[in-house]
This record gives sequence, C-alpha cells and structure tokens, in this order.
Amino acid sequence: MSLSLPAAAALGSISAWFNEASAATCAMAAAVTELLTHDLAPGSLVTKSDLAGLKALASDSLRRHPYAVGSGATFSSARMSEGQGVLEWWAPGPNGAEKLAFDLDPGGERFYDYEHLPYFSDAERTGEVTIWGPYVDYLGSDEYILTHTAPFKIHGEFAGVAGYDVTVRALEEIFLPALRSIPGHAALLNSSHRVIIGNSGAYLVGERIKAAPSESRIIPLEVPHLGLSMLVPA
Amino acid sequence: MPIDWAEFPIVWLGEPDLALNMSFQSQIYRALPELERSDAIVNRISKAITLGMLRVGERLPNEIEMSEMFGVAAATLRDALAVLRDQGIVETRRGRSGGTFILKQPQFQPEAMREWLMSTSIAEIRDLGDEQSAIAAATVRLACDRAEPHELERLQDMARSLVLAEGAPARARADSRFHIELAVTAQSTRLANAEIRLQAETVEVLWSPLIDEFDAERATAEHLALVRAVSDNRSQQGQQLVIDHIRRNTHHLIDTKLALSYSTDVKAKP
Repeated sequence: MSLSLPAAAALGSISAWFNEASAATCAMAAAVTELLTHDLAPGSLVTKSDLAGLKALASDSLRRHPYAVGSGATFSSARMSEGQGVLEWWAPGPNGAEKLAFDLDPGGERFYDYEHLPYFSDAERTGEVTIWGPYVDYLGSDEYILTHTAPFKIHGEFAGVAGYDVTVRALEEIFLPALRSIPGHAALLNSSHRVIIGNSGAYLVGERIKAAPSESRIIPLEVPHLGLSMLVPA
Repeated sequence: MPIDWAEFPIVWLGEPDLALNMSFQSQIYRALPELERSDAIVNRISKAITLGMLRVGERLPNEIEMSEMFGVAAATLRDALAVLRDQGIVETRRGRSGGTFILKQPQFQPEAMREWLMSTSIAEIRDLGDEQSAIAAATVRLACDRAEPHELERLQDMARSLVLAEGAPARARADSRFHIELAVTAQSTRLANAEIRLQAETVEVLWSPLIDEFDAERATAEHLALVRAVSDNRSQQGQQLVIDHIRRNTHHLIDTKLALSYSTDVKAKP
C-alpha cells in the first residue's frame, strides 16, 4: 500500500530539514579542516594555540541555527600535542557564544569520555556525518539532546568531529506540525529505532521500537548516513 | 457560592525564566532551611563539586544571584564563600572576567560524615533508602526497555571501575557514577536528577571507613548482576536486585550510625 499524502509530505519535509542540517554540519567540518590545515605542517600535532579560530566558526553555526543549544569541534586525543582530548564547544549566551567547560582528565571526577560516545566514534569509524540521541547529556549540557556531527581530517587523517546539539524540545516544535498532519500514530525514529518524536502518546520519545507494531510499518528517510526512519500507519 | 479568586493569596513562583531552566544545576541552588544556612551552603557546594556536578575551573553564579537562589542574606552567602575560600576550594578573582571559581576538590571529611550519621535518625536513613529504592526500581524498569547494548557495555565498565578504585573518595565517585549513568540509560532527565541528589546525600558516608570498610567487591558484583539483568531485559529481577542492593547500603549506614552513637565500648563523651 502506498503512503498517505500527508505522511509522504511529512517524510519529505523532515528529510529536507535533516539533509540541510547535514550539509551545514559537513560544511562546518570542512571549515575546521581548512582552518587547521592552513597552520599545521603535515604530521604535526594540534596545539591549543591552533584552536583560536574555532570560536568564530561555532558562533557562526549558532547564529545560522537558532535551534542549536551548542556547537563546536572535538578532537581526537591522538592528534593533540598534550595527548588529552579537547572539546571546544560553545553555547549561545546573552553576550554571544559562551564556551562550555568539560572535565577532560581521564582521572577526573566528571570525565567526559566523548571519544567513546557514538557521535564521535561512529563518525570516526564510518568517516560520514552522523547523529546520536536523544540522550540525557548529564556531563555536558545537562539537557535531553541530539548531537549531529561530521568528521574532519587534517592532512587527510581523521582528527575529530564538528557539529551542533539540538534539544528534543526544539525538534518537537519544528517537526510536530508535519507529524500531526499524519492520520494515525506516527513517530520519527533514530538509527536504533528509538523514538525522537511521536505525534501522539502512542510512541513516546526515548522508547525503543523493537519491532514495528501490527498495522504499521517503518519507512527509512532519504537522508544519507543518519539512519533515520518513520513509523507510520500501514 | 462562586469562588472569589481575589481572596486567594498570590503565590510567587519566581522568575519564569528561572523556572524553565530546570537543569541539574538548579538542584544545587534550591531553597534552604532556616538553621545554619551558611554551613548548609558550604556543604551543598562542596558536595556538588565532589560529585562532579560543579567542575574545577567553573565559575559560580554571582553573589546576588546566589543569595537569591539560596534565599539568604548577602552577608550569609559571603560567610559561606569565605569558608570555602579558607578551605582552598574556591577563589574569588576581581575584574571584568572576575567572579568566584572552583579551585579544587574538597577533602573527604570523616568528621562531618560522623556528625551527619549521629544527627540523622534511623527513621530518616531508612526513608532515604526508601526514596532511593523507588527511584532505582523505576530506573531499572525503564532501562530494561530503553537502554541500548553499547550503553550497557559502558555501564559494565563503570561497574568494574568500582572494584579497581583505590580509597574511599574514588570508590564513592565510581559508585555514584554507576547509579547516575544507569539513570541516564533510562532516558529520563528527572530520574537522573533525582539520582544525582540522592547520591550526594549518602555515597560518601557509605564508603568512608568510619567503623568498617564497605565491601567494594560485593558492591561491584551486585552492579554487574544488575547490568546483566537489564541487558537480558529481566525487569522484575533487575528491580529486585537493585532494591536488595540499596537495602544493604541502608543497613550499613544504620549499623555504622549505631556503632558510632551507641558503642558498647563506652567512652563517655564530654
């Protein structure tokens, strides 16, 4: 059976939104590559003083994406001269972008081990743009968010990821009008079939859909690499 | 008779912006009881740093904001900050980018813990355990439904880090981190929040060797069994395991309290 018209329209508009966001994320990663390739000799490690231009990139990303609650770049510890990870991440503040503080000391109380989090490790493994969430970011922004990132390279070698955070709350506001136009229960799912947004109480954010319920089916979104899909009435 | 709403007192719920900003950090600044407010501020900020809710290098809100959030006079807040400064936990810098910054982790303070245990009744300790069990059982039930395999692998590593941790402060951190991360896999900001608050109340006392050392191997085994139950989606068993685990913690706290307060080896207190 073919999709209902409103469902097809919702799929189209949500896919377009993510494709645009992916393009912006990849553009940001490319800008980080350009910034750092410029100043660094091939084979040399990144030092903290090379990172000065990142704030402008993050501020620009936050300005263009008013729904983002954070944006920046995180580096592979193997590519840093200090051997410790670097997480250059900014949040919008009343006086422009404000840098967020993270505990990046592996022995620290609140060690933020981002290299093992999927928004970093998946981008590193696949070399492609990725999205992770919804997750409770208790060591970072203290919010319920998704993180959309793209890997960047320096002289052809993986060096980290760049991207932005968006709250589940903000995505609800963006996508609910389209989702509500679908007759019956529908939900936007992430790559592990976790609900990002449902159009009713039937599918709640955070729940995992282990198998498509009867009278419904799961349709992949035409958004490369993010693994998003939509659960719609059959 | 129709209700005359004009007769009802107006309840001021605070700035709307403040109400919306329900981050974990708002737990740190919630209103205080009347007594010993300055000590309570020192205590709450120290615990928040110990548990990693406030980070070394982080700037505290300005003094006016903090005294409003805590609901204390400016002088009371300044007293508290002076104590934290004397302990070397915070420093105040002047100038445009000034403010009060967190310098280092507070010391584990066995004396303060002993006092807490002696002044807290058995009924209160049991009640703390009751709240912890309620939160933890709900957390385990949701984690069974919602956690993903890679998150459970991470949780398993965290469980192991407890037995590898050396010394009471490191064990307390590993233990609380495990329970908070478990709440994170349940995908609930509120449950994670509640777990952070509850851990802050008990975990240091639990691991500090006031009378006997708490058994890290056994706690680790219990954490690992819990992760297995969650990953096999055995919700009922997982809930029972976590309730038993917390009951054992509660018994240890009560036994320690009783040994401290009513030691048979009587040395009359002055």
